[in-house]
Amino acid sequence: MATIEVQRQVLPILGNPNQGARFYNPELPSSEPFVPGHRTCAGCGPSIQYRMTSKAAGDNTILVGPTGCMYVANSSYLCTPYNVPWAHTQIGSAGSFTAGVAAAYEAMIRKGKWKGQFPNIICEAGDGSASDIGLASISGALYRNHDCLIICYDNEQYANTGIQASSRTPYGGMTTFSPPGPLVPEGKKLYPKDLARMMAAGHPHCYVATASVGYPIDLMNKVRKGLNHKGAAYLMVYTPCQKGFVYETPRSIDLGRLVVECGLYPMWEWNPEQRAYDYSFRPASMRPVSEYLKLQGRFGHLHAEHIANLQKFANEQWRMMGVALPEALIKAADAKNLVNMAAAEEAATVAETV
Amino acid sequence: MATATALKKKMVRINGCVAAAQAAKYADVDVIAAYPIRPYTATMMALAQMVANGELDAEYIVADSEHSQLSISHGASSSGARVFTGSSGVGVQFAYELYSPISGSRMPVQMMIADRTLDPPGDFGSEHTDALSTRDMGWLMGWSCDAQEAFDNHLIAYRIGEDPRVLLPQMVCQDGFFVSHITGDVELPDSGQVKEFLPPYKHPYPLDPRHPVSHGPQIMPEQGPPLQLERARAMEESMAVIEEVHEEFGKIFGRHYDPWLEEFMTEDAEVVFFLQGAHAVTARFAIQHMREKGLKVGMVRLRTIRPYPTDRVRESLSKFKVVGVIETNMGLGSVSSGGVLYAEVCAALYEADKRPLVLSFMAGMGGEAIVLKEFYWMTEKMMEVQKRGKIEKRTHWVGFEE
Repeated sequence: MATIEVQRQVLPILGNPNQGARFYNPELPSSEPFVPGHRTCAGCGPSIQYRMTSKAAGDNTILVGPTGCMYVANSSYLCTPYNVPWAHTQIGSAGSFTAGVAAAYEAMIRKGKWKGQFPNIICEAGDGSASDIGLASISGALYRNHDCLIICYDNEQYANTGIQASSRTPYGGMTTFSPPGPLVPEGKKLYPKDLARMMAAGHPHCYVATASVGYPIDLMNKVRKGLNHKGAAYLMVYTPCQKGFVYETPRSIDLGRLVVECGLYPMWEWNPEQRAYDYSFRPASMRPVSEYLKLQGRFGHLHAEHIANLQKFANEQWRMMGVALPEALIKAADAKNLVNMAAAEEAATVAETV
Repeated sequence: MATATALKKKMVRINGCVAAAQAAKYADVDVIAAYPIRPYTATMMALAQMVANGELDAEYIVADSEHSQLSISHGASSSGARVFTGSSGVGVQFAYELYSPISGSRMPVQMMIADRTLDPPGDFGSEHTDALSTRDMGWLMGWSCDAQEAFDNHLIAYRIGEDPRVLLPQMVCQDGFFVSHITGDVELPDSGQVKEFLPPYKHPYPLDPRHPVSHGPQIMPEQGPPLQLERARAMEESMAVIEEVHEEFGKIFGRHYDPWLEEFMTEDAEVVFFLQGAHAVTARFAIQHMREKGLKVGMVRLRTIRPYPTDRVRESLSKFKVVGVIETNMGLGSVSSGGVLYAEVCAALYEADKRPLVLSFMAGMGGEAIVLKEFYWMTEKMMEVQKRGKIEKRTHWVGFEE
C-alpha cells in the first residue's frame, strides 16, 4: 500500500515561563482562535484558560468540547467564539470523540484524502467530564496514544449545572451537592481525586502536566509541549469559577497563583521519555492554605480543624514534590493554632504570621 | 489509497458477519471502531485481520466501550472520514446516548448490528429489540435476511446515508446467528463496480481547520423546532433517494431489490405473514409447503423500517384478509402487549378503505428458530380468524398455546 507520510507541527517554546500574569511576552502569536463576545461569567477562569491554550495552539487546530461551561456558555447557535473548527460532544465522550477526530486525520492524510500538516487536536473537558463521566473515554484515548491533547479545565465542580460537587471538588468545598449543615460542618468530606497523577501513572507514555491560569506562559508552554509530543498528552489546569468559588471577579489570576503558593495545586510535568516527574516549578513564595481559603465564599463555613485538615493535605503535596516545609506550615496544620473561618479577620492575622 | 482497486468479481462462501466486513473493505472505510460483544464481533475480527494483512488501510480502534465506539465514529465522521462500527444486544443500548447526536449533526456513520436479545438473563440469541429500541433516533434502518443481502445493504446504506440530500447515519441490521453465523454463497463484486456505485465520502461541513465551522452549539428553545423539523424532513426526503439508489444498485450489480417490501406468493393470498429479517427464509419454505395443500398464504417482508414506508405497507397489506405480524422483539406493555411492529402495521392500515385483521405473533424470541410447524400453527390461527371475521385474542406467544 502506497501511503503518504503524515507531517506534524512543531510549536516553539516561549521564554520566561515563570512570569506573572501581567508580564507581556512579545513572542506571543497575535492570532485569537477563541474570541471575546461569548456568554461566560465575568472573571471566568476556564475561558481565560481557553484563550491562552488556543492562542498557544494557533490556527491549524481543531477543538472538541464535551458538555460543560465551555460548551453551554460559549457556543451559542448562530454565533460562535471559535475561529477554528469546534465540535460539541457528549460529556462522557471527551476522549472518544477526540480519538475519532485524530484517527480520521491520520487515515485521511495517509490515504491522500486530506492534504496538509496534521492539525492540533485539543479536547477541552471540564473536571466533571474528565474525572467522572468521561474518565474511561479519556483513559482510552491516552492508552491508545492518539496524537491529541486532552485538557481538563478544572474548576473543581459541575459549574454549568449550578455548582455541584465533582470528584475534583476539594475537601471542605461547599457546593449544592455538598452543603454544610449541623451534621456535616465541613460540607465536602472527601478529598479530590488525584486525576493528573492517575493519568501519568496509568499512561506513562503520555506527556502529562498540571498548570494554572496564574502562570500563563507556563501554561502555554505546557500546551505546546503536549501538542509537540507525538501521541497523546494530558493537561490539568486550575481555572477558578467566580460563581462557584464566590470571590471578587478581578481576583481569578490571583487565585491561580495563590492555589499554587499554598500547595493545594502542585505544579509538575511528567516526562514520558525519562518516565519521571519534574517538580522543578517553584512559586515565588509559600503560604498557608488560609490565605487562599479566606478569599472564597465556598470555604466560609470551615472551622479551624477543617482548615488544619486542608493544611495537612497541602503539606503532603509539598512533601510529595520534595519541598522542605517551613516551620509555619507545619504549625498551621494544627487546629490549635487556627481560628474558625467565620472570624475572617483573625484568619487573616494567622496568615500574616508565616 | 484505494486498496480495493485490484479486486475481481468472485463467489465466496461466507457468513453475514464476514459479508459485512467485506462490504466495509469494498467501501474503503477510513476509521473502524470495535468493541467485542457476541455475535457481531466476528465482523470486527475479520476487519482486524484485513488491516493486519494490508488488505485495507484504515485506523482500527479498539474502543473502551460501545459508548466510545459511537463517539469515535461521530468524531471521525465529523472530520470527513468514512466510518464503520457495530454492536449487538446490550452493546447497542450502552451507546444509546450517541444515536440522536449523530443523526442530529447529520453524520452518515454506519453501524452494523447483529441482533442479540437484551439482558436479562444473558441470552446470545437473536431478537430485534436491541436495534428497534433506537428506531426513532434518526437513523436509516433495515434488516437483511441472508449474507448476500447483508453485503449489498451495507454498500447501499453508505450510498444513501452519504448522499448530500440525506446525510443520515445507518443501522444495517442482520439477525444474530441466523444471518451473522450462517454461511452462504456471496458474490463479491469487481472493485470497479463499487467505484461506480459509491463515490468518496464528502461531508459539506467537516471539521477542517481551513474552513472553520462549529458543530452542535447550544441553542435557545425556540431554535430547537426548526432543527428538529429539518432532521424529520431529511428522513422523509430520503425515501426518493432510497428508491433511486436501489435502482442504480440493480443496474450496476444485477441484483434488484424492492427497497421497502419483499412480497412472496402474495398474488392470491388471503392470509400473510409480516416480518423482518432471517425468519423470512424459513417462512418461504413453510409457505411453499402450505401452498401445496391449497392454503392461500403468503409473506410480506419489511426491508426498511426507517424511514417507514407507510403508504407501501397500507397498499400492500390492505389486499389481504388477515395479517400475522411476526414480532421477534419485545414491546412490554405496548399496543398489543406483544412487540412493537404490530403498532407500526396497524397505524399504516388505519387510513385504508379495506383493513385486514391483524394478529401479533411473539415468535423467534430469545433467538429460537421459528420452525416449519410453528408457521403452520400460525397460519391456522390466521385462518380461524379469517373464518370468524373477528379477533378474539390479539397476541399469541407461539409455543405457549395449544
